[in-house]
Amino acid sequence: MSINRLKFNHHLFCQFLLTLSLISFISFGSLAQEDAAAPEATDAGLDPALVSAGESLFNGNCTVCHAINEKVIGPALRDAHERQSEEWIKAFIKNSSKVIASGDEYAVALYNEYNQTQMTAFAFSDDELNSIIAYIKSESAKPIEAAVATTTSADGEAVSASSGVAGEYITAILIGFVVVLILILIVLFLIISVLTKYLKENKELDEEERDLVGQEFSIGQLAKSNAFLGFVTFFFLAIVLKSAIDGLFTVGVQQGYQPKQPIAFSHQLHAGQYEIECVYCHTGVNKAKSANIPSVNICMNCHSAIQNVGGQTGMSPEIQKIYDAAESGVPIEWVRVHNLPDLAYFNHSQHVKVGGIECQTCHGPIEEMAVVYQYSDLTMGWCINCHRETEVNAKGNEYYTKLVELHDQTSKNPLKVQDIGGLECSKCHY
Amino acid sequence: MIRRTLYSGVLSMLAAGLLLSCAAKNDFPGLEYSPQMYHSTPYEPLTQIKDEDQGNWLDSNDEDAHGEFYNSNPYNNFDMTMREPAANTVKRGSYLPYRIPKDSLELAAQLMVNPFDSTAAVLAEGKVLYNSYCIHCHGSKGMGDGTVGKVYKGVTPYNSRAVKDKPGGHIFHVITHGKGRMGAHGSQVSVEDRWKIVRYVQTLQNQ
Repeated sequence: MSINRLKFNHHLFCQFLLTLSLISFISFGSLAQEDAAAPEATDAGLDPALVSAGESLFNGNCTVCHAINEKVIGPALRDAHERQSEEWIKAFIKNSSKVIASGDEYAVALYNEYNQTQMTAFAFSDDELNSIIAYIKSESAKPIEAAVATTTSADGEAVSASSGVAGEYITAILIGFVVVLILILIVLFLIISVLTKYLKENKELDEEERDLVGQEFSIGQLAKSNAFLGFVTFFFLAIVLKSAIDGLFTVGVQQGYQPKQPIAFSHQLHAGQYEIECVYCHTGVNKAKSANIPSVNICMNCHSAIQNVGGQTGMSPEIQKIYDAAESGVPIEWVRVHNLPDLAYFNHSQHVKVGGIECQTCHGPIEEMAVVYQYSDLTMGWCINCHRETEVNAKGNEYYTKLVELHDQTSKNPLKVQDIGGLECSKCHY
Repeated sequence: MIRRTLYSGVLSMLAAGLLLSCAAKNDFPGLEYSPQMYHSTPYEPLTQIKDEDQGNWLDSNDEDAHGEFYNSNPYNNFDMTMREPAANTVKRGSYLPYRIPKDSLELAAQLMVNPFDSTAAVLAEGKVLYNSYCIHCHGSKGMGDGTVGKVYKGVTPYNSRAVKDKPGGHIFHVITHGKGRMGAHGSQVSVEDRWKIVRYVQTLQNQ
């Protein structure tokens, strides 16, 4: 009886626990919901129309230098209305220099803290200023974590997206295959040994069959057989010949040259991820023989503000090298990757500006290279082949108009580079 | 007999391996076929070899006291093989240099007049130049939302109240010398190209 009651009690207890957890779960859920709805509740004091008007004004005029949660050029504006009165904020937006000149302690401190950068004066009406302050208030009421989390995850994705996942999969698959093959070999070997053992014990076999079963595989005999020797010699010679010819063709060709540079500059980051045009740094490409390597002042156009990568703070050691060069005036000695022999002449502007050839045609997927390597072989055959196949970019270029007319009178093929002397020795060798 | 074949086999393999190691890889630029024709005797811009011993092994000139490949100009700063144009000289056939100093933005805004009219051809060229030099920060529509601008922060939209009505001279001066967080682009973009960009930027101010 007592055991029975105990069981009953136990059952009741379980039920009680279940209900309790269910209730707590539901109430916690609703609590969480309340949490999420909290900012809206505080917003209730603010007119939603005013806040949205303020948001568009804020995004149009203020985000250039301000953010709610982080210091950009000016201070973070979270809880700005708690630090100063609304009148003060309005006066500062309208004419900050006047507030600073009046000797206001807080304004002067701000001015000095932010490297004496003057805030632009904005001629907003009082209504507009009210709406901007309303927007700042409503944003300040929102929890801070959400905003920070989204920005870091976005940066993280951008960085991780660049690592090669496909390559890792292929290696894993290959290793898997090899393991399976070895297992199959072991199983086959086991089957053979079991079968021969069985046959050997079988007494119904005659002499000939017994010999066959007892036969042993001899490596020595195989190695001495003419067929095998011939086979090995042929393969050996073929491999040696192939590598000798390949080796000879690499002499004087620097394809694949990938020197280590003094600064770990990544084209993948600059030209790929941030889509900076090649000509922004290689300023000579449309005007001169050389595309040019940028001097430090061009690096500093951006790096005066950008001091680290991937959302990290502080100064990256690689970017520090640019600062050192800018301060000392000692040029950065980049290692030249494309060393066209002095015996050949090449002009960038002729190909890029006049010919309209994309950089990638010769330099390969430069926007994917973390470290630049020579993509094309830059041999004469490579140049000549392109001159045979490429049509002259004569569109909108008066220089070629008459040439094209003359060419069209005698030929049905389009005007190619070879037709205007692209195969002449002295075009490139003089 | 067998020993002989073995020797010749090993030797030929070594020779092939040696040839393969001539290929360019990482820091090794590869074997040069005729080095004296590869290396420039005159000063070659963007190619500088400071090491006086480089190419000693095939030196053709005993009197110059350095190797065949040495290519540096000892009379320039840092032995560079290129140098800036001589001071106070002007390139023929181009615009006179822009001399208004950085702090005189107001003066430039009043004085400078764009030599180009806002024609379709100028605007088209201006757009190409804008898309080369400006777009990554200022964005395709000048809203300051370019791929770099988003990270860089502090890029003023052209149609914002603060800069909407700024004249061409102001824009030209800012491109040349920079302003606030923007760097000076006078060294990268020629005077002519800057004025063309100004014309295109003015269309973006008024959108």
